[in-house]
Amino acid sequence: MIETEKIIEAILIGDDDKVKVLTLEEINKGERAGEIMREGLIAGMTKVGEQMEAEEMFIPEVLMSARAMSAGVEVLKPHLKTEDAAVRGKVVIGTVEGDLHDIGKNLVKMLIEGAGFEVIDLGTNVEKDRFIKAVQENNADILGMSALLTTTMPSMQVIIEALKKAGIRDQVKIIVGGAPVTEEYAQEIGADAYGPDAGSAVRVINSIL
Amino acid sequence: MAYIRSNQQSFNSPHAAKMSEGQCQRLYWACLEILERTGVCLYNQEAIDLLDKAGASVTDGNRVRIPAGMVEKAFSTVPKNVALYNRNGQRKIQAGGHRSYFGTGSDCLNIIDHRTGERRLAVLQDIVDGMKVCDALDNIDFVMCMFLPSDVPQDILDRYEMEAMLNHTIKPIFYVTTEFAGCKAAVEMAEIVAGGADALRHYPFAACYINVTTGLRHNEEALQKLLFLSEKGLPFTYIPSAQGGVTAPITIAGTMAVNNAGVLAGLVISQLKREGTPFIMPGWGGNMLDMKTTVQPYADPEKRSQAIDFSHFLGLPTFSLGGCSESKMVDQQAAAEAALTLFTDALFGGNLVHDVGYLESGMSGSLPQLVICDEVISWIEAFMHEVVITDETLALDLIDEVGPDGQYLDNPHTMKHFRDRWYPNLFERSNYDSWQKKGGKDLGTRATDVVEKIVNEHEPERLPDDIAKAVHEVVLKEL
Ligand code: B12
Repeated sequence: MIETEKIIEAILIGDDDKVKVLTLEEINKGERAGEIMREGLIAGMTKVGEQMEAEEMFIPEVLMSARAMSAGVEVLKPHLKTEDAAVRGKVVIGTVEGDLHDIGKNLVKMLIEGAGFEVIDLGTNVEKDRFIKAVQENNADILGMSALLTTTMPSMQVIIEALKKAGIRDQVKIIVGGAPVTEEYAQEIGADAYGPDAGSAVRVINSIL
Repeated sequence: MAYIRSNQQSFNSPHAAKMSEGQCQRLYWACLEILERTGVCLYNQEAIDLLDKAGASVTDGNRVRIPAGMVEKAFSTVPKNVALYNRNGQRKIQAGGHRSYFGTGSDCLNIIDHRTGERRLAVLQDIVDGMKVCDALDNIDFVMCMFLPSDVPQDILDRYEMEAMLNHTIKPIFYVTTEFAGCKAAVEMAEIVAGGADALRHYPFAACYINVTTGLRHNEEALQKLLFLSEKGLPFTYIPSAQGGVTAPITIAGTMAVNNAGVLAGLVISQLKREGTPFIMPGWGGNMLDMKTTVQPYADPEKRSQAIDFSHFLGLPTFSLGGCSESKMVDQQAAAEAALTLFTDALFGGNLVHDVGYLESGMSGSLPQLVICDEVISWIEAFMHEVVITDETLALDLIDEVGPDGQYLDNPHTMKHFRDRWYPNLFERSNYDSWQKKGGKDLGTRATDVVEKIVNEHEPERLPDDIAKAVHEVVLKEL
């Protein structure tokens, strides 16, 4: 029996040493790494996500928890079988062309990293071709785009159209966000999902994968 | 008998400060240290070259370290006051010192429609209505466009905003443009209205609101705008937005140091480009990110006042921030946050207090909220009056004449002075029955009535037809 409660608790309080010790103990007990990952670490981060969405946790605390989770993953890595890969997926993220707002995008990035994804951050003012190239080269599972200006929002649609043209639209799930972006707009431009804030971004990404 | 009274006219009026001179001095030194030691990253070659030539150190292509002496020199040429005129060339604003003026904010995506109470995307007509309301309200001294027009071509929406402001109010304008080209177009329009570049420089009635990525990273467009406007000698704000806990230390002092290092870097570049260029610094400091909601709060109590103190220490005019709220609607929170932020900015002496009428952290705006703020500003103005202690106001002869049993209601002295006292326009003082007779309306409803009346009846002074046409041609140029 994995002592999931203890691991979850350690993740919630962001104690990376404790998470490492607890994970190691489970391995030594002979528990399967994939299960420790799912029932302990990921379950812990899911709880963190819930608490954050309920505005019960502060961002720095969430990031501490994410760090604690990564510490656990490091311990598990050598023991993980290929089917329960340490990385849950690859995410390419960036703020669209003409837009320099990156505070929200950076928050989203840190939280999905914390949830166990590998994130390739293209930064701000990212033009169409760089998005497409990054999706192709990294064989990304998810493309995240951020826009904070009504004037730059339309580039998200342009990029989705370009992905279609390149014949790779179906290989990647697209999630969009940023203050002026809405659920309806996301649907209108043919994105797969919309995240109103960093807290929901992780949950939404999990739900579309 | 000689009438000798020492120090007679020395009135005191309300004022406040959060920071001592010593604290300001330390903050200033901190900014200078950051500029010399850490430096700033500039994404514009001309700005880098200007600093390089003047003695700054340039490494890695765009990392610029600015010696303190260059900052000190800039202070000897920058004006301590920025004057703004109205569209008709009348001097209306003298920003600097402890003088406060009030104006709207720009670019709210949504409007809380006063007719329906619903939140919807804003359109060009909302800017037109907004400008009419600003034009009519006594205590709104300058305008920003308030709303983002969703029904015009989006890549040139800033041209439409500028045109609507020029057409529907004569009050001084602060324009915002996403890109450099929009800034040039706005200046072109303003020059047409002023009657040429020289006329606009001598009687500036429009100034640019420039935002900068963070204190230590200055984006290309911000620097392009700064250089262009400096060359023309036109006023602008230079406002980096270092965010505590994200792009600067979470502490107020740390965020202020990073942000104002950026302000000083901009100041130096502007004065190198053209000595005497009017320069306006931010009047708020210590921006935070709400670590629970991830919103950047506009009405945050802790980011107020210290930047105003610092601006007085530096001797620069401020673009200040008040009359705004995080509330999603015109409600009790909106009124409370608007009133408190207006009050503190006026009390500390912020100069150009903008964002009046903002709701939802700048995502929506409301005309009734603006009307409520106008009343609050009127209240604050009355509060800020000094108490006049003179023979006339003490009225000792009168007191003696009337005696303990008399009354003052029909006395000429009362007739002469009762209008000196403040009366509300919008705030309700009637007794219960009279209030009910007037419809028993709450503040929001009364403010909505005022908006309706202004929008339907107020006719702002129009631009001459040929000028309006020439302005419109600038808008259409990019289509
Ligand atoms: C801070 C700020 C800036 C800073 C940005 C600093 C930086 N490094 O990012 C500076 C000062 C540089 C700036 C500049 C400008 N800004 Co600005 N800015 C803001 C402000 C006040 C807050 C934005 C912010 O950081 N919020 C905090 C973060 C955490 O929230 P967020 O970005 O919304 O992100 C959250 C969600 O949206 C979501 N999310 C975001 N991205 C993604 C992506 C995915 C995939 C997902 C799932 C979720 C997601 O999760 C995030 C975390 O919860 C907003 C007002 C507002 N209420 O949003 C205006 C605002 C966005 N800016 C505005 C304007 C006009 C400008 C300028 C044009 C002004 C100028 N001319 O100088 C420039 C444009 C520069 C450019 N080319 O991009 C307008 C936008 C108007 C419009 N056209 O749509 C706004 C709304 C303010 C206003 N009403 O005037 N700005």
